[in-house]
Amino acid sequence: MGGAPTNGHAHGAEAVHRPTLEELKERKIRTRQRVHEGQETITVSMGPQHPSMHGVYQAVVDLDGEIIVRTRPGIGNLHRGVEKLAEQMTYHQFIPVTDRLDYVASFAMNHGYCEAVEKLMGVEVPRRARYIRTIAHELVRLANHILWLGVHIMDFGAQTFFLICFRDREYILDLFEMVCGARLTHSYARIGGVSKDLPEGWVGRCRSVVEFLPKRFDEYERLITANRIFNKRARNIGIFTSEDCNAWRITGPTLRSTGIARDLRKDEPYAAYDEVDFEVAVEYNSDVYDRFLVRMKEMRESCKIIRQCLDNLPDGPYLAHDAAHVLPLKKNVLRDSAAMIQDFMHVLRGPQVPKGEVYRAIEVPKGEMGVYIVSDGGPIPQRLHLSTPSFYHGQAVPPMFEGEMLADSVGIFGSIDVVLGDCDR
Amino acid sequence: MTDFIFLLIKAILWVAVGVGMVPFIIYFERKFAGFFQSRMGPTYAGPWGVLQSFGDMAKLLSKEDLIPDWADKPVFRLAPYILFVPAFIVMALIPFGPMGVEIFGYTVDLVIADFDAGVLLFLALGTVAVYGIVFAGWASNNHWSLLGSLRSGAQMVSYEISMGLALVGLIILSGSLSFVDIVDGQAGNFWNWYFIPQIVGFVIFYVASIAELNRAPFDLAEAEQELVAGHMTEYTGMRWGLFMFGEYVNMVVVSAVMATLFFGGWRAPFEALDFIPGFIWLVGKVLFFVFMYMWIRWTLPRYRYNQLMDIGWKIFLPLAIANLAVTALIVSVN
Amino acid sequence: MEARQETVEIPEALKVVFARLEEEFGGRLLGSSFFRGELTFTVPVEDYIAVLKYCRDTPDLAFERLDSLLGNHYPGRKEAPMEVVVHLTSVSKNTRLRLKVMLAEGQSLPTATGVWPSADWDERETWEMYGIQFDGHPNLIRLLTTEDFEGFPLRKDFPLQGTVGGRIRTDLKGKI
Repeated sequence: MGGAPTNGHAHGAEAVHRPTLEELKERKIRTRQRVHEGQETITVSMGPQHPSMHGVYQAVVDLDGEIIVRTRPGIGNLHRGVEKLAEQMTYHQFIPVTDRLDYVASFAMNHGYCEAVEKLMGVEVPRRARYIRTIAHELVRLANHILWLGVHIMDFGAQTFFLICFRDREYILDLFEMVCGARLTHSYARIGGVSKDLPEGWVGRCRSVVEFLPKRFDEYERLITANRIFNKRARNIGIFTSEDCNAWRITGPTLRSTGIARDLRKDEPYAAYDEVDFEVAVEYNSDVYDRFLVRMKEMRESCKIIRQCLDNLPDGPYLAHDAAHVLPLKKNVLRDSAAMIQDFMHVLRGPQVPKGEVYRAIEVPKGEMGVYIVSDGGPIPQRLHLSTPSFYHGQAVPPMFEGEMLADSVGIFGSIDVVLGDCDR
Repeated sequence: MTDFIFLLIKAILWVAVGVGMVPFIIYFERKFAGFFQSRMGPTYAGPWGVLQSFGDMAKLLSKEDLIPDWADKPVFRLAPYILFVPAFIVMALIPFGPMGVEIFGYTVDLVIADFDAGVLLFLALGTVAVYGIVFAGWASNNHWSLLGSLRSGAQMVSYEISMGLALVGLIILSGSLSFVDIVDGQAGNFWNWYFIPQIVGFVIFYVASIAELNRAPFDLAEAEQELVAGHMTEYTGMRWGLFMFGEYVNMVVVSAVMATLFFGGWRAPFEALDFIPGFIWLVGKVLFFVFMYMWIRWTLPRYRYNQLMDIGWKIFLPLAIANLAVTALIVSVN
Repeated sequence: MEARQETVEIPEALKVVFARLEEEFGGRLLGSSFFRGELTFTVPVEDYIAVLKYCRDTPDLAFERLDSLLGNHYPGRKEAPMEVVVHLTSVSKNTRLRLKVMLAEGQSLPTATGVWPSADWDERETWEMYGIQFDGHPNLIRLLTTEDFEGFPLRKDFPLQGTVGGRIRTDLKGKI
């Protein structure tokens, strides 16, 4: 059907042209040139009740015909004052609140917070716990990306794919239900480990899921990657070069679609990521289509990581034994007087934390989430700041939208993966 | 007098079938969507949920009829009707059986109106339907609606031309503009049907008809992801229902036209199967095309506005002209 | 509980950062600390933008990204209760740096939006939560709270109960 030739299957053997930064800038400038100053515009408000705006994000856009001239973003409809809440509760109590940040990938939020607190306290996490965390984190990454994929393709008008993705996400939610009883707000990580050991039969079931999901991904590829309409729609829109990404603090898959292999799982390894073998998914075109490809690759890599972790899952405790910082095992609390005292001390007073401040960033599905904790030595943080990826991604919407067409705006917004719980905090 | 009575019976029958099919087509669409999406679709209302559409209709009828204060009220009220009245007129042109059939001793033509320039009338009425959408968007006085109707208007203009040109080849081949004559020209087995010599014309007509019907992947006017509901944003209750209804009636009518023009209308694929009434063949073909529309809708993403224009002007229009030229050449040589 | 003695050696990359910043700004830096592998500099208000630009533009440091900008409130520190903390990240060198600016009550800070556009919302949030003014910010209005919100909620003296902040607008009754 004419137009630019598409190289259909992106995993083909043919040499893919890697555009230079100058070429990408040129493309972006060409998009921006569609905006003519002084034209009469009409103003429409996309969101917060627009049916396909992701969450309660508001983008008031000025349109010249179908071209977006100006965007005024508005957030805060989901603001819950999480940082103020954190200053009123002990380090343990804050874990369930982190679930409510990015509710699509809540374990990743628990994990990021716990990593930061452990760095502050200097807690050594047992090896088994680190492996379990890695597995859970990758499962949640899979769940997040699968959900993202469905919603993103629906932004381009394909309705069926959305429900296909929901079907496959169920398998992962079921796994979480087995292990911690919750499907969405997991609260599974604890300071010094995880809340429960893996239940019996879980490893086998998880293995079957990660063996089975890549077959589903093949199905997705057949349906979407080579789809002509999706190719035409998603290529060369929403270009954001590596320079732009750094200037606007865009991280995660969006950054990796610009050719920068930045992945904190490799660069600042945490949990068991330094013990598993995986590749960082990188693409080069910096457009919406490449962000899709990066996430597709990442999902396959996640399955690979989980398989390796399941194969090498070590025995041992799933929670650190550290009376000053870590809650005791629940089963010991009613049997062992020391554990009971430890439990009382933690619940009534809180953990014993050294003075100091730490900043710990981990790679959550949406990008880099940094947790900054200032401790004045008390059981509650003096200041806790969460620099969450969606906050910065939502901020970068105006430069991304400029000169694009209204029809693509929702797709571009979807491609940077913003969850408003994560954005408004 | 008997002629008039028969005309009335035919008209009522045909309209009843056309309208009566719509709730079931909506039901099938939802069931098919469920099938494509690994879910059940409607199950509660009636056996297997077949009464779902009637329930929806009752709900829509009992809703408050809201008209925005800032709307252009007469136009706002008129718009839904403009959308589906032309569809019913086109239905009158479509033959659903042979001419001059003996029924109870009377000779009856199984078509409501054998209009000489039927194809032309169909194309003209197809263009009228877009006014429904444009009026709705304009009268709503809402930016989303306006954008939707603008898109729809531009889309119609670009696809009407290819659609008309795609049919010209067929008209040359059959030598008539009357639906009845065109069906007669396709007598015999299915290899006499016009879709074989006019395969290019058929494909263009089919794709253009999707754009005409505002269905995915060309449903730009109501693109939910971008324009909330496009021209229907301000409509509620049964007025909204009329838009839905009009969309499905249009789908049935365009499918019937397509079956008549390219697939032998009421004729059976083999002469040996002529004992089955032509009416059933026609409905079967209509349902087949309707199913194709659903299949496409629930599979593909949506085109962007400028890409749609590209396809219309840069691909289908030259292709339709080429098709016309080749057909004309072959017919004149023969 | 006092901070534990750090036994970890400062990584080589951070040593470079330390050396370059000391060399360039020397005595003007108000202090530095190293805790849990993280380097912190306290920067005077006058040099704040210069340090940010230096960190971004020097090839040895190459802090391409502003990771976060946030405020903090220490009511106990009488002369400089407010604080702005900036985290810089170098993607190419894989290092992180923390810069702190201490501010007196009512003292303003030049905006960092000219250096990194991503500072925009961070500064708006810091302003609405702490009341720290950023000079030259293009659009310093409330971001997360409502426009008529009163007070700066993340300050330590913000009341935890009562209806000071998100009060209900009764004066608009009948007008909407």
